[in-house]
Amino acid sequence: MTEIPYDPTKEIAETVLNVVDVWKSYDELEVLKGISFELARREVKVIFGPSGSGKSTLLRCINMLTPPDKGEIYLSGQNLMAPGVDLNAMRAKIGMVFQHFNLFSHLKAADNVSVGLRRVKGFTKEEARAKALDALHQVKMTDWAEHYPAQLSGGQQQRVGIARALAMKPDLILFDEPTSALDPELIGEVLQVMLDLAKAGTTMVVVTHEMGFARAVASEMIFIDQGVVIERGTAEHFFVSPESERVKNFLRQINILYGHHEELLKESNEDEKL
Amino acid sequence: MISQVLPKEIVDFLRVLEYWDHILVGLAKTMWLYVWALLLGFFLGLLLSLLRQYGGRILSRIATGYVEILRGTPLLVQLFFIYFLPFSINSFLEARGLPYIPIGRWSFYITSNLFGRTITMVFLDHITLMGILTLGLNSAAYQAEYLRGAVMSVGGEQLEAAQSLGMSRRSGILHIVLPQALRRVIPAWSNEAAYLPKYTVVVFFIGLTEIFAQAHYIVSKTFLTLSVYILVSLIFLVIITIISKSLDILYKRTAIPGL
Repeated sequence: MTEIPYDPTKEIAETVLNVVDVWKSYDELEVLKGISFELARREVKVIFGPSGSGKSTLLRCINMLTPPDKGEIYLSGQNLMAPGVDLNAMRAKIGMVFQHFNLFSHLKAADNVSVGLRRVKGFTKEEARAKALDALHQVKMTDWAEHYPAQLSGGQQQRVGIARALAMKPDLILFDEPTSALDPELIGEVLQVMLDLAKAGTTMVVVTHEMGFARAVASEMIFIDQGVVIERGTAEHFFVSPESERVKNFLRQINILYGHHEELLKESNEDEKL
Repeated sequence: MISQVLPKEIVDFLRVLEYWDHILVGLAKTMWLYVWALLLGFFLGLLLSLLRQYGGRILSRIATGYVEILRGTPLLVQLFFIYFLPFSINSFLEARGLPYIPIGRWSFYITSNLFGRTITMVFLDHITLMGILTLGLNSAAYQAEYLRGAVMSVGGEQLEAAQSLGMSRRSGILHIVLPQALRRVIPAWSNEAAYLPKYTVVVFFIGLTEIFAQAHYIVSKTFLTLSVYILVSLIFLVIITIISKSLDILYKRTAIPGL
């Protein structure tokens, strides 16, 4: 994979995703209260915040698995909330990686990746398989192509999950806490794949608490609490001079919990300097 | 005399076995009813379970109502209801001088000679059809519940993952949820597969000559009540053991590696 470092100043930003004033409530509980953001091609947006803040719901709203109550979501200019939109076709352009992997347990790794190519994109079995193996190669899972999900570790399953999204050549990929369900020693391999993708210019929206990852590749970070955007800015902004008291508290707690990732964080910084 | 050298129980069984042609035809009929009822019940049950799980408010309520009514009322009443319904409709039509369908005047059967006995097997006539319908419609309610349990256990996440790839709901259900649910349902479903052969005996009440009716006939001829019914029970035991063992093997053969 060729690594093309992302430099926002060198190209005219093309908006892939535009989320406008999205509201969502479950019965009485208001989960999202007017969230807006834009995502340009090759941009990596990191969304973080305490649990129950609505991060996952926001991702599910973006690909309309949970349609918002109010607001607009534009994918390359097409409003997903407009009546008569072919949501299946739109979802094929938005990859999603789930916290609990959600691999199809009756299919081998290669078939997990190829099933969408066959059923949605209409590729033949052979074409789909070739593309699936390509995607598995990108996440370094080629050797496990013929294994069933239950025969793989969590980290391996999540890499297949990433390959499954990647193979569809989506306009952007949503990551819903991709490492939260993993044992600590398996987080690194998944983060490495995500770092590679980000550096290769994949457009991503990532919900994560992995601040090392965020610091390394996020073009913008958005802190969400109780369904509203509290603060947004570059990674530098958050780590050097966060404004809100809530953000400061949250980062402090994250630091205690994820302290063991300080080293990864340093490594990433060194990467950037190189 | 043979009866003086052999114990009485054995002699009784030998006398019952004299009627092997009746037992054979009865068994064939029972299995015939069983297979069609199970198949009808499976496909209707599958449809009901999917309607109940994914069908939206109205369809899922209709499916739920069907399941509850069929599970909540006696099979025998359902049998009589379905058996008499066409007659009631006919007499309604007839009374108003409308054209009506003659019932019970058609039948598909084969007659053949086997070891010197003439054997007649009716494949389809009015009562056979009504018997299959009743058993199938009833079984569908139970199978729907087993299938719904399996579909639920696969979980909404699998369907969401399919949809996130751009697959339609229908495609996700067909290619992702069902292949898993049908594997998972086998152990629970084997309950229904094992019950149903025994439930087929109710069709005796509308005059179908399945194995229980034949047993009844043999008893009336020989008065060897216990011997006849023990023999019938043994036959059921063997058949149901074969069914449940086969399903065990099927379950193991189709198991997903690593799960």
